[in-house]
Amino acid sequence: MFGCIHVPDFPVQAALLRESKTLPVALLDGPESLLKVVACNAPARSVGVSIGMTKPQAEICGVTLMKRVQEHEDAAQAELIDAAYNFSPRIEATSSGTIIIDLSGSERLLGTDKTIAQLILSEVTKRGFESNVAIAGNPDTAHYAARGFKGITIIGSGDEAQSLSKLPVEVLGSAPDVLDVLHAWGIRDFKSLAALPSIELTERLGQHGLHLQRLARGAVMRELVPAALPPSFQESRELEEPIELLEPLAFVLNSQLEQLMGRLIERSLATDHIEIELTLEVHSDRDVNAPVCCSTLSTYQRTVKLPVPTQDSRVLLKLAQLDLAAHPPHAPVKKIKIAAIPTQIRFTQTGLFQPIAPEPAKLEITMARLRAVVGEADLQNRNLVGFPALLDSHRPDHFQVVPPSAKQSDSAEPFPRLALRRFRPAIPARVEVSAEQVPVWIGFSRRKARVTCASGPWRSGGQWWDAAGEWLREEWDINLTLDGHTALYRIFRDLATRNWFVEGMYD
Amino acid sequence: MSSIAIIRSQVECRIPGALTVYERPEPEVFSAGIQALDGETGGIPKGALTQVCAPAGITSGRTSLLLSLLAQVTGKEQFCALVDATDCFDPESADASGLCLSRLLWVRCSGRSMKPVEQAFKAADILIQNGGFGVIAIDLGNVDEKLVRKIPLTTWFRFARVMEALPSALVILLPYSAAQSCAALTLNLAASAQWSGMETVSHTRLISNVEVKVEVGRTRTKKHVQSASNNFTVRPQWA
Repeated sequence: MFGCIHVPDFPVQAALLRESKTLPVALLDGPESLLKVVACNAPARSVGVSIGMTKPQAEICGVTLMKRVQEHEDAAQAELIDAAYNFSPRIEATSSGTIIIDLSGSERLLGTDKTIAQLILSEVTKRGFESNVAIAGNPDTAHYAARGFKGITIIGSGDEAQSLSKLPVEVLGSAPDVLDVLHAWGIRDFKSLAALPSIELTERLGQHGLHLQRLARGAVMRELVPAALPPSFQESRELEEPIELLEPLAFVLNSQLEQLMGRLIERSLATDHIEIELTLEVHSDRDVNAPVCCSTLSTYQRTVKLPVPTQDSRVLLKLAQLDLAAHPPHAPVKKIKIAAIPTQIRFTQTGLFQPIAPEPAKLEITMARLRAVVGEADLQNRNLVGFPALLDSHRPDHFQVVPPSAKQSDSAEPFPRLALRRFRPAIPARVEVSAEQVPVWIGFSRRKARVTCASGPWRSGGQWWDAAGEWLREEWDINLTLDGHTALYRIFRDLATRNWFVEGMYD
Repeated sequence: MSSIAIIRSQVECRIPGALTVYERPEPEVFSAGIQALDGETGGIPKGALTQVCAPAGITSGRTSLLLSLLAQVTGKEQFCALVDATDCFDPESADASGLCLSRLLWVRCSGRSMKPVEQAFKAADILIQNGGFGVIAIDLGNVDEKLVRKIPLTTWFRFARVMEALPSALVILLPYSAAQSCAALTLNLAASAQWSGMETVSHTRLISNVEVKVEVGRTRTKKHVQSASNNFTVRPQWA
């Protein structure tokens, strides 16, 4: 048993995917000077538009004219293939908008032929297509029934010739010269073609003619040509009018991410990495040297990475929104292309007594929101939001701030220790030293105090092989009395510049 | 039957439970890892705001206390968050205290686009919304007292109310008791240092330990210890 999905006016439906199909729309293609109608939908045909019309002729009919975009059709075809994969792993992408599914053995799983046809139709409708579905005993009969009859068609075994008899011969999709010959003989439908004597037909039209007759009788049985999987998980959309604001852009991103995630979910995959490529329309007034009244296209790329794979399009949308808000494109967006890098789903074992922890995907959004508040990085290019990690170095205050990782480091046994509160950057200080070179007075941040106790000097240095990174200093721990309270500070003298600094306060 | 009992029964008949005294359940707490403090206060309460107060610019032991608390909580495999308004957190000290750095989300307020205090509160709001953190700490210890006084009381009240529903503790380091009655626990800290070695030879001198005096200014967990004070000692890494 074979099923066939056929989407009439496929190029138009691909262009209007998830949009209203009631508008009269015609698609144009060809050189800019000679654009012609290459596809139109039923409402457009009803107002007189036909394939081959020029753009001015179509404009007179008052229909919406759009330029044909091959990427839209590829995305729509991938969507149809995804829909078909829900019912069988053996499918054939016969042509654009036509998919044949091998349903052998699926009756026990899905039900009767009618139930299966209804399921297929509802799945395809859910994805935004208006389609015809046919089920028959061989692939070609199902194909022609779906092309020729609206809605659901079920053809039982042995009824093929009878069921197809009323279809016009144009449905066969044969070459125009063969159709001309058949029309000249007065052959208009499948019934007339099926009734012709086979030997005489072969004498005049050769083996091709005989094959057409067998197709018209519904007597051809063949193997399906398996459809290839989409090579990558990409979605692309070209906009009629460039988008300047992030909110409408997020609306478009949302629909694209939903489609991508849907495709990943069907293959039990997830993603931890999406690449967004925006084609920007840069107007000439941004560049005073450029000629007036012209615009150029430039691309703008952003990458969103997650620590764990996800299938949730909302998480990715929020991250993309926050990323674009932090790094907005400098010109209106004309085209959006999103690619998801597929990866395996992460399986985790949860437990009733596990300590509370932030959800990884949610934590990534939280960190992005925090970055929007506090900024990305400091002057040393260290992240302002993240998890601190010490570096294997003796340089003071040498650390990095890293994203969360699944691997948790071990720590020493908790024990209260005297902590240092650092001043970043270190505060310049004026220090008076005694004859033994011990600090006795210090002044910093509009304060002056006597040093009651000092410990030092503790000399340290490093990276002597690198002139730019070399450091050499003399550290002191000092005790001050400020407003009657004890204050322990760590100060140091940069031996290269001989300047004093307050590094931090013990607290 | 006495007249009071009659009135009581009549009221209870019309409004059941009107005269029943409900005991507030003991809040769950985190151990601060300091025996003297845990014994006096019961610990740092979850679902509430705790303020640790000491004047800016002096050694008080509040950072050591905070790191000890964070070390205890991350040691139990829970995540913590630290909103650092003046970017003064020292990862080396934290590591020496036993804090698991890979479980501490550190938010360093840069003060570029807005004031550090404003950034700190916005960041704290986001962290509370996210949930999943055992302790959320806001370090306003180095912020000028004048700026802290400008924070409206409604901000503290809002934080206290939001935290009530969460299994997390909100700990704020402040130069003075700004949150007032919104805090479930207020600790006022002061410290004194002890030095070892010969007074005349500077390189023999070392900070041997710091004695921290804790005054429990306010607590909802144990009423009877209000204004009680207790001491604990923190030692430097080299001692």
